[in-house]
Amino acid sequence: MIERYSGIAPMNDLILLQRLGEILKGRSFLHINSTRKGGGVAEILQRMLPLLEQLGIEARWDIIEGDARFYDTTKKMHNSLQGNFEEITDKEWKHHHEVNMESAKKLNLDADAVLIHDPQPAPLIELKKRGTWIWRCHIDVSNPQKDIFDNLSKYCKKYDAGIFSVSKFTRSLPIDEFVIPPSIDPISDKNRELTNEEIHETMDKFKIPEDRPMMLQVSRFDRFKDPIGVIETYRIVKKYNDCILVLAGSPATDDPEGEAVLNEVREYAAGDPDIYLLMLPPFSDVDINALQRAATVILQKSLKEGFGLTVSEAMWKSKPIIGGAVGGIPLQIIHGLTGFLVHSVEGAAFRTRQLFNNPEMAQRMSAQGKEHVRNNFLITRQMRDYLMVWHSMENRGQNVLTL
Amino acid sequence: MEDSERTNPERPDGSGGLGSAGKCLPGKPFAFNQCTSIIRSTGKKARNLKELRNLVTVVTTESIFHHTYQYFLKGHMLEYTNDFAHWAGANLEESALAEQLANIDPYAFNEIEELRTEILRVLDNYLAMCPETRKVFVGDEFYFSEAVTMICPVGVVARNIAEFLMALKYIDSGAIYYHFYEARTRLGGNTDDFSKWFEDVHNKSELAEQIRSIDPFMHNIEGIRDNLTTLIEDELRRDMEVVRL
Repeated sequence: MIERYSGIAPMNDLILLQRLGEILKGRSFLHINSTRKGGGVAEILQRMLPLLEQLGIEARWDIIEGDARFYDTTKKMHNSLQGNFEEITDKEWKHHHEVNMESAKKLNLDADAVLIHDPQPAPLIELKKRGTWIWRCHIDVSNPQKDIFDNLSKYCKKYDAGIFSVSKFTRSLPIDEFVIPPSIDPISDKNRELTNEEIHETMDKFKIPEDRPMMLQVSRFDRFKDPIGVIETYRIVKKYNDCILVLAGSPATDDPEGEAVLNEVREYAAGDPDIYLLMLPPFSDVDINALQRAATVILQKSLKEGFGLTVSEAMWKSKPIIGGAVGGIPLQIIHGLTGFLVHSVEGAAFRTRQLFNNPEMAQRMSAQGKEHVRNNFLITRQMRDYLMVWHSMENRGQNVLTL
Repeated sequence: MEDSERTNPERPDGSGGLGSAGKCLPGKPFAFNQCTSIIRSTGKKARNLKELRNLVTVVTTESIFHHTYQYFLKGHMLEYTNDFAHWAGANLEESALAEQLANIDPYAFNEIEELRTEILRVLDNYLAMCPETRKVFVGDEFYFSEAVTMICPVGVVARNIAEFLMALKYIDSGAIYYHFYEARTRLGGNTDDFSKWFEDVHNKSELAEQIRSIDPFMHNIEGIRDNLTTLIEDELRRDMEVVRL
């Protein structure tokens, strides 16, 4: 399976993966998060596990399961760590801890390396018996609500290392902190090449016309993704260029706010037949791929962002991209070179018009964007980095390792 | 500084270089290696020039090494020559300072501490002239990092110049970085693995000198690849045009 990445991923990543696989062969690598469906973490784990196994590593993926109260608490945690004010009571923190301890009874936590994803399962560190335990933080904690992060960091400090997606997300924790951006899988259904028939099939299914330029944002219906701002952007652009807007998202089982935000967006978009709101069920990867390939310009107008991998997805499909200058988006969009970074609705509208009216510029940026993704944001690079962290933690004190 | 004065700056981990990987011995084929790094945060960040100056005095030598010598490994679109210059220009918007920092040649120093002293000298001079520089926006701070680097063979071995040329065209950028940039800290003397192989193994002193004269600061890795390819193709063409009597 890993051979399928030859000629797609950079060769040096594949070579290093092979070498690290030889070194770590037969050893166990456990990943734990809180959902198997929806969101970037679950998506990449689904793809990464078989590849790790193919390298000879005994890779496992488990989830912790909570009740509605648990997910309400972790959603508040998520929001407050990204800078919004939330209140989490002592009882809620206690429940968060109890759900983890209860879930752990069904889990085998014995492994050579354990990667715990995000705040939901962070308390599991209290059950560590052996191995290298790493906390993988996928969200933007650059400006968190202090009391919430202080509470959470009681767990984080007990890990051997932390991994953050961007340097500015790192915190001054008394553990080793690595910076590893997330990634996309270029051969998954979401990113593989599609035939024209496949693209038309999706467009027909959703009754989206192909006779006008199409603006697209693919993301959860979450206020941080600013779907209302995208509609405002479209309304400005529409005055100059006849176009349509597609907002497409998938529900995630750990996001109780999704339905409420979708309703707000529906209300705001009401009456405009050129706005298409799609709530796609899980496993709609081919449809998302087709929508991205059918789009003329893709937006990721986030106000807060963990990393914003939909940006890399768009760039991989050689599409011009406009993104909010937040979270990991500026790592992917080099302003003016691989896309445009914007800070307002007006900025997003201006750049959309520029791209609609300058197809050569759009094509040049798209080509540079695809190469940028190839070199930096493919799954093979992320796997390589995880194995490098594991190996380096077992060789602490050495900054240069000859393999 | 004259080339002859440039010596091997000891690596911050005390290894004195990157080990024996990639070493070129006379008569030996060229075995390509690659190096790959991951970033480790130091937890220290600067919001303005004074904070940057104060942190440059206390961060580890590994961090100074990473933000200067390893700048080219990150595949930047070339505008500056180290992270300090990049931040001064792109985030602080102090263009003159960015130019002065970009002009520092890390290979001109024997020890990383000497390089640190030079960076501090430039920062102090600038602060003496312009003590009130702006504070950057949240999220645009300078984050001091270090790198953990792993070196491994690419599995490509060139037995002659034609094979070398073919390999050079297709190997990944991490290998060119290792043999062209990283080799300078390992071998010292402003040289690199490529020129050393051509000189020691193939007796191509002129080609070696041309390779050594490629300015590492004026190209990104792909630019280095293009320059090397042109020089070696020219050399091969000349060799083929020689009429042997």
